[in-house]
Amino acid sequence: MTRPDLSTSPVPGAAFGTPVLEVDDLHVEFRTRSGVVNAVNGISYSLAEGETLAVLGESGSGKSVSAQAIMGILDSPPAVITGGGIYFQGEDLLKQSPEEQRKVRGPGISMIFQDALSSLNPVYSVGYQIGEMFRAHRGMSKRDAKKHAIELMDRVRIPAAASRVDDYPHQFSGGMRQRVMIAMAIALDPRVLIADEPTTALDVTVQAQVMDLLKDLQRDTGMGLVLITHDLGVVNEVADNVAVMYAGRIVERGTVDDVFGNPAHPYTDGLMSSVPQVEAKGGRLQPIVGQPPNLAAIPSGCPFHPRCSRRRLGAAAAPGRECATDVPPLRLVAPGREAACHYSEEVLGV
Amino acid sequence: MTDQQQMDLRHDEVEAGTQTGLASPSVDVTESRQNSLWSDAWGELKRNPLFWIGAVLCLLFVLMAIVPQLFARGADPRACDLANSKALPSADHWFGYDVQGCDYLANVVHGARNSLLIGVFAVVVVLVLGVVVGAVAGYFGGVTDGVLSRIADIFYALPLILGALVLLRVGPATDIPIINSRGPGAVALALALFGWMTAMRLVRSQVIAVKSSDYVAAARAMGASNGRILVRHILPNAVAPVLVYTTITIGVLIAAEATLTFLGVGLQRPAISWGLQIAMGEDSIRSAPHLVLFPSLVLTLTVMAFIMMGDALRDALDPRQRA
Amino acid sequence: MGRYVARRLLLTIPVLLGASFLIFGMVYALPGDPIRALAGDRPVSPAVVEVLRERFHLNDPLWVQYWEYLKGLFQGDLGTDFRGRPVLDTIERTLPVTVKLALVAIVFEAVIGLVAGVLAGIRRNSFFDNLVLVSTTLIVSIPILVLAFVAQLLFGLKLGWFPIAGTREGLYSYLLPGLVLASGSLAYVARLTRTSVAENLRADYVRTARAKGLPNRTVIVRHTLRNSLIPVVTFIGADIGTLLGGAIVTETVFNLPGIGREVFDSVRAQEGAVVVGIVTLMVFFFIFFNLVVDVLYAVLDPRIRYD
Repeated sequence: MTRPDLSTSPVPGAAFGTPVLEVDDLHVEFRTRSGVVNAVNGISYSLAEGETLAVLGESGSGKSVSAQAIMGILDSPPAVITGGGIYFQGEDLLKQSPEEQRKVRGPGISMIFQDALSSLNPVYSVGYQIGEMFRAHRGMSKRDAKKHAIELMDRVRIPAAASRVDDYPHQFSGGMRQRVMIAMAIALDPRVLIADEPTTALDVTVQAQVMDLLKDLQRDTGMGLVLITHDLGVVNEVADNVAVMYAGRIVERGTVDDVFGNPAHPYTDGLMSSVPQVEAKGGRLQPIVGQPPNLAAIPSGCPFHPRCSRRRLGAAAAPGRECATDVPPLRLVAPGREAACHYSEEVLGV
Repeated sequence: MTDQQQMDLRHDEVEAGTQTGLASPSVDVTESRQNSLWSDAWGELKRNPLFWIGAVLCLLFVLMAIVPQLFARGADPRACDLANSKALPSADHWFGYDVQGCDYLANVVHGARNSLLIGVFAVVVVLVLGVVVGAVAGYFGGVTDGVLSRIADIFYALPLILGALVLLRVGPATDIPIINSRGPGAVALALALFGWMTAMRLVRSQVIAVKSSDYVAAARAMGASNGRILVRHILPNAVAPVLVYTTITIGVLIAAEATLTFLGVGLQRPAISWGLQIAMGEDSIRSAPHLVLFPSLVLTLTVMAFIMMGDALRDALDPRQRA
Repeated sequence: MGRYVARRLLLTIPVLLGASFLIFGMVYALPGDPIRALAGDRPVSPAVVEVLRERFHLNDPLWVQYWEYLKGLFQGDLGTDFRGRPVLDTIERTLPVTVKLALVAIVFEAVIGLVAGVLAGIRRNSFFDNLVLVSTTLIVSIPILVLAFVAQLLFGLKLGWFPIAGTREGLYSYLLPGLVLASGSLAYVARLTRTSVAENLRADYVRTARAKGLPNRTVIVRHTLRNSLIPVVTFIGADIGTLLGGAIVTETVFNLPGIGREVFDSVRAQEGAVVVGIVTLMVFFFIFFNLVVDVLYAVLDPRIRYD
């Protein structure tokens, strides 16, 4: 089993030490009756123990699909992983048997989802569903599993855990349900937790509580956290590094401070100016013009060029850097920073 | 919609054999949505072989009902010769002869008219009863709904065949017009009288679902009258599931007619009917099984044609079913 | 839950009374003389007719007749037929046959319908799935009358695997009519299961179950089938009530002396008391099993509470 050679490009977040999860040139497509949808087109990133990596993007940018690919829970068909590797503690999950992959889910990598109500089975008590982790992976008895479930519910700060363990998901509030999901996900001390929009469906105050809980749990366990979101505020608060996705590609990568302080890609720049900021009160919000790309027909060249205010077409472009024909590679644009734009230096204002 | 209503609706859809999923409209499907629903459905239907098989068979049987001579290969169903009694199928007489020595193909072909006539007439009465009672019950709710729904429950608790059987048995002795006629009208009315409840429940559920939706609240806020809301906003939403139900029900009612006639309370000789042919054939099932088989086959194909079309329609009209 | 059941039971009473009154009204109120019908072509003296009319309350207004009938009903007296045999005896004689037939049908319906539906739902669009789709369409389209004859002809006469009619061979005699009676519901159960399983397989909580690293069997059995079968089990439950009442054709064709054939014979003979008695019983079964199903729903799906 070989690791991808990432030594040639200084990986953002390398400061965190041993990578626990590495994604290398991952490609996923959906083969449907009406054509092929290219959902993920060659993304790479690595995540270290204790690191929080935010994957930022609009819906349809491929962020959730790539997470499900890592978990090995894509619906296949129609989804097919057409290339790349997913390395967990150095082992390529894509080369493992389904049974080996299954054993990684839970103790190795686990995942929480956006809508906790629909993601929990309505006909089983929350205690049963948390306890299942211990029963399936550790062969624990029903009674012991329930005891552990109560402990976990305590740990994610669900009040009166012992008396609520037999309640059903619909009897909990939205925030409490998400805590149940988290309890289930951290039950077996996973090394990586993927959180797919964990707070999107929640009230603002509850969002903060859930994010605090995730941060605390991460500090206690040292797990790596992949936070999939479109919420810039959440990213700014909790993430160490950020990868911005557009049309199934990573278009910019770096530390949160760098990327948010001075974007290197026009898309990131657009995202920043489209959210209200306390400091810039009174200014106008600038929406990104145009529509997110249709993944069945991704624009040629730079996929963002039809919406880009800095695009250079035809004679205005430098040779080999025509935005509508030449695909910009993800390249080092500043120390510890990568972006996929022909003209990142201009965006950065270097 | 409350959970209970949702469940009732699900139950009704199960009973009706139609799960159109159109039960919980959150947006107004009366205007453009409705148009795209139908054009999407047509696109879907065109690609469904079941629909085409059903449609071609239906057309065939409708044609058979209107001009049976086209299919009888020149034979007269009433020109009989006892010498041919129970003769087996041959190259000239594809379906053989019946007990009286009449050409069986001609007889079976001429049976289509009564079956289709009764099926269509009964379903029209079912629809009128179902839509009117269902719309009134669902729209006004309260005591009106309570009483009408209980009445539907009462009829619902009686098996269709049994209710129609009793009514048709005592019918001829009464002075109620049509019911005492022993003709196709009596059979159709009896079937409709004991078969309208599912249509009623379907329409009622749709009306309740739509009534509580935001766009009807908006229409009401803008001063639309009860009648206008019912006709313009609510009933169009019920069209899709009712259409599916109707198509399937024609098939079910045709089968029920044959059953009642077979049991001796439906059409009476000398009427020509598949039910009568099966009943007659039963007596000689050992010596001449073709007398039961041919009318059975044609009856089955007719019922199948309608059920297939209804199935295809449901799949086409149910957005959830699409991949 | 207790209050809900009590309320539902109360609601059943008007339906039960309404349905039996409907049949009662049809049988007794419509003009036509059951005594004459019973006598047929034989001459009967007017005195005898009058005695009989008095005995069966035929001279009273309809509601009085029905009231008399109800009074008897609450004392466990369903009246007698025109030959003086208690209707209750007739029911006791015929009901076991119908119950056996319904049980055989339910077993066929549940076992074959569920297995076919689950397999088709799991392997959506496979050859087996298409087979189930096509065969259920066929079965649903065949009128039970036709199916009964074809089964009788093929398995009884030609192949000789099953008795053609009657109950002489015990439970074995019930297999063929049971399968025929079950066919429609069987196809429906298969389809309902298929749709439900396929729908549940796409549910978010099944994705969660996979993300939890549960073994495939657990994902399918506990997180897909357990949820999918709620509507199916309740349909089968309600169908028991229907099967107990709706077997006129099957019992007639296969010559099984159950309540279906009995009620048919009684309708033909205008034996009002027997018809009303049996129909009331059928309606009771129907309503009772529907109530059972509603309660079952709450047991199977914790989201549903009736209080």
